[in-house]
Amino acid sequence: MCPICKTDKYLSPNMTFLINPECYHKICESCVDRIFSLGPAPCPYPKCGKILRKNKFKQQVFDDLRIEREIDIRKKVGNVYNKTEEDFPSLKEYNQYLENIEEIVFKLNNDVDVVETLAELDKYEQEHKLEILEKNMRESEKSADLVKYQEAMERLKQEKRKIQEKMDLEDLNFQREQQQKLLDKMATSSETTEEILKQLEVQKQSRLTSRRKQLQSINENLDRQFNSANPFHKHLPEEVQTPFTPFKGDRDLNKKYTMLPVLDAEEIMDTDNSHGSYYDPYMNKLAKVKEFLGAGWRLNHVYERALDEAFIGLGCIIEQEKTSAKPTLV
Amino acid sequence: MSTPVVASPPVPLKKRSGPATHNYSKERKVGEGTYAVVYLGHQVTTGREIAIKEIKTGIFKDGLDMSALREVKYLQELRHPNVIELVDVFSTPHNLNLVLELLPCDLEVLIKDKEVVFTMGDIKSWMLMTLRGIHHCHRNFILHRDLKPNNLLIAPDGQLKIADFGLARALGNPNEDLSSNVVTRWYRAPELLFGAKHYTGAIDMWSIGIIFAELMLRVPYLPGKDDVDQLDVTFKALGTPTEQIWPNVSSLPMYNALTVYAQPSRQELRNRFSAATEKALDLMIMLTQLDPSRRCDSTRALLHDFFTELPRPTEPRDLPKKSIKKEEPDAKRRKI
Repeated sequence: MCPICKTDKYLSPNMTFLINPECYHKICESCVDRIFSLGPAPCPYPKCGKILRKNKFKQQVFDDLRIEREIDIRKKVGNVYNKTEEDFPSLKEYNQYLENIEEIVFKLNNDVDVVETLAELDKYEQEHKLEILEKNMRESEKSADLVKYQEAMERLKQEKRKIQEKMDLEDLNFQREQQQKLLDKMATSSETTEEILKQLEVQKQSRLTSRRKQLQSINENLDRQFNSANPFHKHLPEEVQTPFTPFKGDRDLNKKYTMLPVLDAEEIMDTDNSHGSYYDPYMNKLAKVKEFLGAGWRLNHVYERALDEAFIGLGCIIEQEKTSAKPTLV
Repeated sequence: MSTPVVASPPVPLKKRSGPATHNYSKERKVGEGTYAVVYLGHQVTTGREIAIKEIKTGIFKDGLDMSALREVKYLQELRHPNVIELVDVFSTPHNLNLVLELLPCDLEVLIKDKEVVFTMGDIKSWMLMTLRGIHHCHRNFILHRDLKPNNLLIAPDGQLKIADFGLARALGNPNEDLSSNVVTRWYRAPELLFGAKHYTGAIDMWSIGIIFAELMLRVPYLPGKDDVDQLDVTFKALGTPTEQIWPNVSSLPMYNALTVYAQPSRQELRNRFSAATEKALDLMIMLTQLDPSRRCDSTRALLHDFFTELPRPTEPRDLPKKSIKKEEPDAKRRKI
C-alpha cells in the first residue's frame, strides 16, 4: 500500500513503487507523477521534507534498503574513482587505491564525517576530471569491442555449421551415386566383383582425404578472416617478433664434406665390394654382429664421426671470429 | 660460429697469482652426497655466486671417485647455454674442488610442486632447452647417461641446464664395451634393460621422451620398482618388442619376452596424455621408440613440428618458478 495515496495492490495490481536515493522513502509511481511533475518538491513523508527531483526516482532492486543505499554510494564513488589495475605500476598500489575507496564508502554509508568525505570526493573529482573522462571512454570502447567480438564468434560458428551441413549432404548424394554405379558395373562389366569393390574402395578413400583437406582449408580460411576482424587481436601484448629457430642458429648445416652412401649390414661382403662406399674390414665385420645392431649401433655413425672429427675446426678462423662482433653462439 | 661442431677448447684455467682457493669463498654448506659436499660461495674477484663441489677423497680405493673425473673431463669441453658451466677446478692438499655455476632449482622440484601450473608453452620451452643441450653433447660424441628431471637444473633467468656429468662418457672405439648399468632406472632405455653394450645417443633421447611424458603427467611415467619390474612397466606402457618392430632385439644379452603386451594404440596414448596435441604425441612416440635405431636423434627432434605449432615456447624468463611457500597476504588480490 502506498502510504501517500493509500492505493493498494489489491485494487490496482500493476502499481509499482519508486524510491529516491536522497531519503529512500517508498512512493508509488502515480504519486511520483502527481507530486513531482511540476518540478522539485519536498518528500511527502511526515518529518522528512527532503527536496526530491523526479528524474532521480528509480525502482528498488534490493529488498533491504540498506543494501540499496550502499550500492548507490558505491556507484557514485565508483564513477569518480574509476581506475583499474592496469593503471597502477604494482598490485600493492592498486590495493591501496581500493582500500581508499572502501574507506570513503564506509564513511558515507555509516554517516561518519559525511560532509568532509563528500567534500573530499568533490575535490578529487575536480582534480581528476580529465582522467576520469578518459578512463570512461576507454572502458566503453572495450565493452563495445567485446560485443563485436561475441557477434563475430557467433557468425563464425554458424558459417562453419552451414558448410558442414552442405558437405554432409553432398557426401550422402555421392554415396548413393556410387551405390548405383556399383550395381551398374556389376551388371555390365567383365571384372570380378572383388576387383570392382577394391577399385571403388580406393576411389572412396582418395575422395575422403581430399574432402577432409578441403574442409580443413575452408575452416582455416574462416578462422583467419575472423582473426583479422577480431578487435581483441590488437589488444594482445606485442610479442617479441624474433623468428623461432629450433637450434637458435647453432647448427652446422654446411659440413665441409659429403658422405658416401653406407651399405646396410646385409649388403656387406667380406671382400671389398664397396663400390663408391667406405671399406674397413674390421668395422664391416662388426656391422654384422647382431648384438651391435640390436643396440642401435650402425656403421654409418662410425664413418660420420670419423669424417666429423677429420674436418672439425676447418674453416673456423679464430682471428676473424674474434674481430667480428661477439659470436652468436646463443 | 662457422663450425659449431667444434668442441669448445678446454676452459682455460685462469692464470692466478696466489693459490686458487683464494679466488673463491665457501660460505654455506647446501648439500652432501656420497662423493661430494656442495657449498655455496662467491667468486672473490667478480662477486659472482657459484657452487663449489668438494670431492671427498680417501674413501675410494683408487684415491678419487670416477664420477668426479668424468665431470671434469667432459664439462671442461662443453660450453653451451643449456649445459652447466664448469667455472674452475682447483685442488687443496686433501680435496678436489669443482667450481660450478650456481643453479638454485631443478625440474623435479617444479614437477612435484603442485601449486605450479605448466602450460604447453612451458613444457615446449623446457623440452627445447633440454634437446639443445643434449644436441651439443651428442655432436661432440658425449653421452650423458643420466638424464632425469633431477639433473635438469634451472638458472635464475629460467634457462634450463643439463648437469651432473658423473656418468657421462665419450663414445669410444666400437669394440669397447659400454656398461649397461647406467641411467636412473625409470629413465633407462629398453636396450639398456636388455644389457646392450654398444648403445648410442639414443639412450639419452629415450630419457628425454620419458621426461617429456612426466612433464605432461606430473608423475613419473614408468616407475619400476626394480630392474625386472622396470621391464614389465616399460612394456606394459609401450608394448613388448619383437623381432618385427625391433630387428635383432633377441640377440641382446639379457633379452627375454616374459609377458607379451600389445603395442598401445594411438587412442590409448591419447587418453593417457589428454592434454597433448597430436604433434606433441607424435614427438613423444618418436622419442620412445623401442628400437634405438628408429628412435629420433636430437636433430630430428628439434626439427619436429611440435616446436613450430602454437603456442610458442615460453620465454625462459617467463617460465614458472618454484612457488614461495607462504605468500604475503598483502600480495593477494583483494576482492570487492
